This record gives sequence, C-alpha cells and structure tokens, in this order.
Amino acid sequence: MDEERAEAAAVDRHDPRPSSIPSGDGSVWADVSPLLEAACTDLPDGELIHGDNFNLFAAMSALEIMDPKMDSGMVSRYYSVDEAIENGAAPVPISCDKTGDVQCTIDIMDHLLACEATWHKGHSLAQTVFSCIYLLRPERTSSHALLHSYSRIIRATCKAVVSVVSDARTHEEEDLFTMAYGLPLIGEDEKCLSMLNAVEETIARQLRACKAPSSGRKVIEDLEPLQNNLALEEGYCKAILCRLRFRKHFYHVLMCLKRPQGRGLQLARKHISSCLSELEIIRKSTEVLRSNDYGTHNCGEDKTTASGRRPVGFDASINTRLSAPTPPRSIKILSWSEAVEYFVKLLHDLDIICSFSLDASLEGILQFMVQFQKSHPDLVSRAHLQTLLIQDGKLYGRDPIFAVIAKAAGLPEIVRNHDIQNGECLVHLGQLVINLLKILSTNAAWQRRKLGKIVQDWRVIHIQLELALRQEMGEESGISADQNGRGDILRQILIWVEEQTFWIASRFLMLGFELELYSPGEYCMVYWYIYVVLIKLAERMHHKMSFTNATAKLKGKKKKGSTKDMSRDFQIPASVLFLQSYICLAEGLTMMLAALKNERMLSQSPSPFNSDHERFIQHFELLQKAGVPDHISYQSFEESTKNARFSTLVMYNYFKDAQRIAKEVKNSFPNDPERQSELRRIEQVAEHNSIALTVLCRLGSLDSSLKVSFDFSHHPYFATAVVKRS
Amino acid sequence: METATSDAEEEKKATFEASEIEYASYGGEHHLPLIMGLVDHELSEPYSIFTYRYFVYLWPQLSFLAFHKGKCVGTVVCKMGEHRSTYRGYIAMLVVIKPYRGKGIATELVSRSIRVMKESGCEEVTLEAEVTNKGALALYGRLGFIRAKRLFRYYLNGVDAFRLKLLFPQRELHPSLVMMAHNDASQRHASNRPLEEFPEQQERDCSSMGESVSNK
Repeated sequence: MDEERAEAAAVDRHDPRPSSIPSGDGSVWADVSPLLEAACTDLPDGELIHGDNFNLFAAMSALEIMDPKMDSGMVSRYYSVDEAIENGAAPVPISCDKTGDVQCTIDIMDHLLACEATWHKGHSLAQTVFSCIYLLRPERTSSHALLHSYSRIIRATCKAVVSVVSDARTHEEEDLFTMAYGLPLIGEDEKCLSMLNAVEETIARQLRACKAPSSGRKVIEDLEPLQNNLALEEGYCKAILCRLRFRKHFYHVLMCLKRPQGRGLQLARKHISSCLSELEIIRKSTEVLRSNDYGTHNCGEDKTTASGRRPVGFDASINTRLSAPTPPRSIKILSWSEAVEYFVKLLHDLDIICSFSLDASLEGILQFMVQFQKSHPDLVSRAHLQTLLIQDGKLYGRDPIFAVIAKAAGLPEIVRNHDIQNGECLVHLGQLVINLLKILSTNAAWQRRKLGKIVQDWRVIHIQLELALRQEMGEESGISADQNGRGDILRQILIWVEEQTFWIASRFLMLGFELELYSPGEYCMVYWYIYVVLIKLAERMHHKMSFTNATAKLKGKKKKGSTKDMSRDFQIPASVLFLQSYICLAEGLTMMLAALKNERMLSQSPSPFNSDHERFIQHFELLQKAGVPDHISYQSFEESTKNARFSTLVMYNYFKDAQRIAKEVKNSFPNDPERQSELRRIEQVAEHNSIALTVLCRLGSLDSSLKVSFDFSHHPYFATAVVKRS
Repeated sequence: METATSDAEEEKKATFEASEIEYASYGGEHHLPLIMGLVDHELSEPYSIFTYRYFVYLWPQLSFLAFHKGKCVGTVVCKMGEHRSTYRGYIAMLVVIKPYRGKGIATELVSRSIRVMKESGCEEVTLEAEVTNKGALALYGRLGFIRAKRLFRYYLNGVDAFRLKLLFPQRELHPSLVMMAHNDASQRHASNRPLEEFPEQQERDCSSMGESVSNK
C-alpha cells in the first residue's frame, strides 16, 4: 500500500471531525476510510491479497458487512441496552394496570423458562436467557419485588449451572454454554433465596386472603391484593406461587448437588420431587392464564408462554455482539411446553444420578454410566454426574483411585494401602481411570472419539505393567518368596487392565451404531470385530474372576474348612455367560451377513475408488494401531467369512445358542432389572434372526425375489434381519 | 462444509439427456459468480467471498461446474493439502440445483474432483455432511466413503454432521521400492504432481484445513 497516497487522501477530505480520538494507554483511534479508499484503487476486481497467515479459518471467519447471514449488527433493533430501555422496551412497572402487570410478569417468567431450556440445549446464554432486558440491568427492577426476586434467582441459577459445567469440562464441543462475558452474573448467590422467600410469603398470604370467606377478610384487610380483578386473584396467586416455588427448589437442587462427597443427594431428591410437582401445577395453570384474556392471544404450539402471549422486555438481537467469537446464530427459542418437558427430563436425569449408590464398584459405575447415557441426558445432568464421581482426584471425593482399582481388580482389602500405588505406572493408571470416567460423561459423539484415542493409552500402560511385573519377578527369583506380594498385585491388575481395554474397545464399537456411523454394507466387518473383541473381554473377565475366587476360596477354607462349594469351580460366572450371549449374536450376524454377501443376496455394487479393505482400515484404525486385539487384520476377517454359505450355516445356528444362554442366565440377575430387560432384547433379536436364517437357508439361493434388510427394532446395536418378498 | 444434491420433495424436474450436461473445470473469474450464486442459494451456511476465492484460486483444478444449455446447474469446490502427516483432499461444497437432481450430475462432479485428488497423490478425501442429508450420505456412501465421526452440533443451525472419509488403496510397495521411499520420504506426495503447481506458500496454508476449521 502506498502510504503517501493514503496520507494525501486523508488530507484531501477536509473532514471536520478530528482525525484521531484518544483512547487511553497512549493509543488512539484513527479513521481508516481514506486508507481503504486508496487501497481499493490499487486492487482490481477479483484479485485477492494472499497473506501467509490467510488460511481457510481466516477466510471463514471473515464477515461481510451488511450481509444479514453474517453481519450481526445489521439486524439489531437497538444499538445498546440503554437505547432499548429509553425506547420503552422494558418498562418498570411493566404495566400501570396491576392486573396487566401481573400477567406480563408471568409471561416473562414463562419465556425465561423457555430461554433457559434453549440455553441448556446448546445455545449461548447471551442470546437466550439474557435476551431479557430486565436481567441485564439488575438495579432497575428493585422497585418491583416480584420481578426483582425472580430475576435474581434466575441469574444465580445460571451462575451455578455455568460453574458446574465449567468444572466438569464435559462441554468440549458445547463450549458456547459457559460463555458469559459481559453478563451480570457476578454477585448473585444464595442470598437471593431470602428475598424470594419473602415474596413467596406475601403472595401466599394474598392467596389465603382471597380464599377466606368475606367475614374473615376484615382481619387481613391491611393486606393489598396481588392485583385489582378479584375474580382472577386466586388463579394468578397460584400461578405465581408455583413458578416461584419451582425456582426455589431448583436452586436448592443445584446447591445440594454441589455438596462434597455426595452428602446432599438425599436432600436433592426431595427438592427434585418438589420441583416436579410445582412443574405439574405450572403446566395446569395454562388453562387459567389462557382464559383470562387481556388482549389478543394465540395458543399456537410454538408459543413460549403459558398464556400464549408475547412477553414484554425481550430482544433476541440485543446481545449478539456478546456472543463473540462465534458468528451469530439464528436461535429458535423452545416453546413453553417443550421447555417444561425439558425440565421434567432434566430433573428425572438428576434424580437417577442422586439415587445411584455411593458404594458401587467401578464396574457398577461404568455400567451405570452406559445405562444413563442411553436416555441421551443433556449437558447439565452429565456435568453433575461427572462432578459427583470425580472430586479432588478421588471417586466421590472420598475413595483413593488406587483403592478403587484394587477393588475392581479383585485384590483383597489389605492391599489397598500398599506402597506399590506410588509407583509411576500405577499413578498413571489412576489418571487413566479418572479420564475414562470423565469421557463417559461426555456426549456420545465426543465420547466415541475420545474412547478410540484412549485405547492406545491403556495399551501402553499394559505394556508398562508387564515390564514392571517382569522386573519384579526377576528380582524375586533370588529370594525364596514374594514377600510383599507385589508380583501378585501387578499380575492381578494387569489382567484387569486388559479386561478394561477390551471393554473400552467394545464400547467404542457399539457406540458407532448409536451414532449411525455404520452403513449396512459394513455391518459384517463391524460385527466380526465386535465378536473378536468380546471374546477377548470374556476371557479376561473369566480369568480375573477365577483368580479372585481361588484366593477367596483359599481364605474361606482356612477359616471354615468347608468344601461344599467345589462344584462352582467348574461353572462359568453369570456375567461371562451374559457376554457369551452377545458373542453368539455377533458371530451369528457376521456369518449371516457374510453368507448373504457370498451368495450375492445383498444388492451392493462395488465402489469406484476403493474396497472393503480400505473401509476396514478406516473403521478400526484406532483399535488396530493399539493392537486391540493383537494379530487381527483385514485378512483374518476375510479368512473367517469367505466360506460362509447358507448350506453350512444351517448346520449350526448361533442365534439359537444366544437365545438359550440369554434364557438361562436370566435367573442369575434377579435384582437387576436393567440386565433382565437387556436379556429379553437379546432373546428377541436372537429369535427373529434365527427364524430369518432358517427361511434364508431353506429358500435363499432358490428364490431370487427374497430381499433382506436389517433394522434395530429390537436392540440398539444388534440388528434384526427382515426377509421380504419383493 | 456442505452438500445440496438430493431432493425428497417432488419438485418440477427438468427433462434432459445425461449427454446434454457439459462439465467444465474452473476457468477463471467469470465462473466465480456462478459458483457463489448456486452455493448461496442452496446451502445453509454463510460463506464470505474470501472463502470462495480461497478455494478456487488455490485449487482451480479441483473445482468443476456442470452446464445445461449454457446454464450452470451444479458445482463442486475442493481443496487438498497436508493434514497430520497425510496428504488429503477435502470436498468443501457440492451443489446441484433442484430440477437437475437425481440424474447423477453430483456424482459426476465429485468423481472428477476425487480423480484429480487421487492423481495428485492424496491418500484420502474427507468432507462433512449434515446427518439429516440422506441424499448426500447415500451418494458418498456409493463412492466408498465411510462415516468416520459424528460432529456434535457442527452447523450453525445446530444440526450434527458426519465426517466422511474415503481412503484410497495404498499401493503395496515392492520390497526394492521400500528403500527408495525411505530415502526420499519428503517427496512421497510429489510423484504425480509437478512441483511448481504447488508453491511452498500454498502448502503451508493447507496444513490448517480440515478439522481445525469448525464453523463455530
């Protein structure tokens, strides 16, 4: 750029305004228009200055001014909050008519609930809850006790939720959530409750007054009614009371969940139950609010208030500048009924967390987390689960991680304080366990990616432990016995690490179904890989259990000398049998899919640029890199499936095995309803596939009109074959 | 980025023969408004002029347009570059206007780009597509792409995306070639491509593409 020309241009303009505005810190604001004008003449249309640092990210971050898709300032109605207030966008009181004022306040409460739910669902706080002008200027509402107390608890609640989500860091891809700069959240704390309680008390008295018989009314005549229309008084008092009480209990829930070591969980459950009943009353208040018509209203499905009216005091565009560094998103606020639904689900999810045992084993916790994720909990409840589980690097802020690992590995209780835990390897293992629990609290998409990556870490720790064990044994070879039992401890933990690694791999593979990452053409290789991983998992699990049982039995014998349980030695533990039913299903599906492919019954045209081999590499790259399991390749997959034919499958029906095992093992989990229903699903898939297989074996190659498809109507991961005549 | 190529609703379909469609490689500034017009109209994300120029100026050989009787009815915009030690292609935008969908134009457009990528030494091709865009997912599935990842709320409209990936077959190296490859690892991508086509500065640029670019 030609600087002289730019300067000349600046001089030529004879602008009456000063050419620079001091901005403090010794720097000044300068008008760049002349510089830009001069630059424009230097660059013909269509040319692009290409700087070294101009990459795709820079290109995509560029905004075009006056393009409504990009320019957030363009669509704003007001330049500032103050301008909006001057224009009367958020009057205090909201209406001079007391009845109107109460109605408008209820609408604001309802719309805020909808905004809050929209925020929880992943939009920015600035563009949802803080699109409320009243919330942005805390001091302005102080003369309006009802609105003021409600605003304060909303701000305090937002602050508490931001804090738990920030602490949990479960929001990697939901980072919009905790952005709160420029918003008046500071300073709000539990004190807001006392003001809310006072307002609640007043309205409760107003409600009692209007319900009291006219004779009794004199006694409390000094009490002004909530508003002027006596016919509406009771309905409005009730509508406001349930809204205030919901806020109060919800805030209590958040505070109880914050208590260390899960000490507030029981109390939290009580408040959750109160929240749910207040929500029910709020839901029912719709009728009253809609019938009390003050002006026109619309009861459409997408309305954000119970009354159906538009709330006063909101401007969706007022904070778009605060939502930086993201481009403004057009936000559709959830409807009021969707918002209520959301909170009902959130509270149920929180209740599930609160009712989970604080004494569960690690295995139990992992199972619980998998189960919990099935209902697709949103960010807020997942964050609470995580902060409950991991506090100060301990499980529930209470159990040292090594003790947790030792228990999971089936080691006796005395070992839990063994000095072996201070070794580098086991400290590292502890971090991996914490990391695993955190990952299992994230959303399914993120979780799968992370699980794929940590498989490698678990593999590395496995190798390190193996090394440590070898060293230990080497050192001991000179000594007569393993004095400290270090070798035994390491050996036992090693088996558990292997088991855990395969568990992570199986979770990684199965999550692919939930996230719809596999196409039907890939099912065969996916089930094959699941089959291979599950076999290893079952082996390790069995190995660990037989080791533990042997130790336990030894002790038992020492104490009681009893031998009555000898027969159990030869039995396979129920949890291994449970896995066995999965294994049969996975193998059955692999073979059925392979036979369909080999007998050309699946309409699949070869892809022009690559083959199944490349798809195999891509899908299982992370597991293959980590050697989970070892010696597994595309060739081994091809080897084991290339000969599958219906003529041979008819001889051995894996699905019948799966069905039989599922039926047998059911009795072993009498107090575990989750497992029971999972086993029922397994039975169903197995039964349907068994029938489909029989049909295919009998008619398959003869009847070319048979079309086979797969769906997930009976189980989220194990497909059901559907055979139809086209 | 995005793809708009399939159409569930019954739109008025144009009647034409596949042979009437002409395909052209990006030919210069006069093509840019055509591309921008299609993309702005059909895709949900807002792209600045810089984004378009970024692609078509650096990788003109990867952008194609489809014409029917002189009218531009479809386009594909791509890039390629180093990404975490692999050399990969990236399909940024693919659009066919509604009356012309379902006739294989998008497949032809994107196949042309993929072929150039393969010839240029790419090991894989990636892109993002909305999880709800069944047509695009089917199209890329037929071409051999897998759904490698799901990206939570990737688009500005809050919809999840799939990261799709196509891995080209890796040529099994003859034992005697392994040595050569080890000795000259720095040139492993340049075999099919004249070096001057890919100035140093552009190479640096490419390294930042792909996953580091989120639309948030």
